[in-house]
Amino acid sequence: MPRIVREVDIAWEGTLSRGAGVVRAASSGAFDLPVTIASRVAEPEGKTSPEELLAAAHATCFVTSLAGELAKAGTPPEHLDVHCLVTMDEVEGIGHRIVSSALSARGTAPGADAASFAQAAEAADAGCPFSALIKASATVTVEATLEGSA
Amino acid sequence: MADRTANVTWSGSLIEGGGRIESVGSGAFGPLEVTWAARAEESDGRTSPEELIAAAHAACFSMALSSGLAKAGAPADRLDTSATVTFVPGTGITKVALRVRGSVPGMDEAAFGDAAQAAKEGCPVSQALAAVPEITLDASLS
Repeated sequence: MPRIVREVDIAWEGTLSRGAGVVRAASSGAFDLPVTIASRVAEPEGKTSPEELLAAAHATCFVTSLAGELAKAGTPPEHLDVHCLVTMDEVEGIGHRIVSSALSARGTAPGADAASFAQAAEAADAGCPFSALIKASATVTVEATLEGSA
Repeated sequence: MADRTANVTWSGSLIEGGGRIESVGSGAFGPLEVTWAARAEESDGRTSPEELIAAAHAACFSMALSSGLAKAGAPADRLDTSATVTFVPGTGITKVALRVRGSVPGMDEAAFGDAAQAAKEGCPVSQALAAVPEITLDASLS
């Protein structure tokens, strides 16, 4: 299998509390985003953070796995909607840690029923490379709802 | 505690269909198109989970290093960090390479290297990615 490489640059100026950085997607050019510590641990005020980028990564990784699993089961999706919530918390004696990533998926997939959709979601979680990694240190939960099924 | 969210949609099969990072909680980015081909072959201007992981890691590492340098009494003027994530379909994420060049008045190479190593080990995203088989660090003063 080919090795796929993706690269990002960040330029950070100044101290942590007063400084700021800009994260640039070097591989794709798809984004160029300011980050600060205040917007990471307090209100985001329109700025992204490492945890939000991980939420976007996890949701995207999971949705591609789920589309793949549903197709493999012979019920390719019409539409999938995935929400991901990443939580960073202060763990006593250790400091800030990413403690959980909660995925919830809704979708329509002709021919699938609630059980097969749930099974595909479980397989998608097992197959998504980011889920596999983050499970070593955080809790991953998956909630899956097939729409239009009674 | 900090909660951060993202919403992603997908239409159609994995290979022929496509997705979109519709929005994130902060509103800082989105919509961004994603496809399997852009993830597994040429990016073609589209982001991917691996690029987003690289972004998260580079930002987290830079913040941790900035904090560490200030605590050591030598705040950085500027840090230039890059993170490169390697993904092998079917195997997973096999490597993250961090590279940093720092402009830090009053600090020598050895102390900077130690601070960078501590940031690599301590930052929350490094901890979350601890299961990646290989995380490398190339740190020097600019």
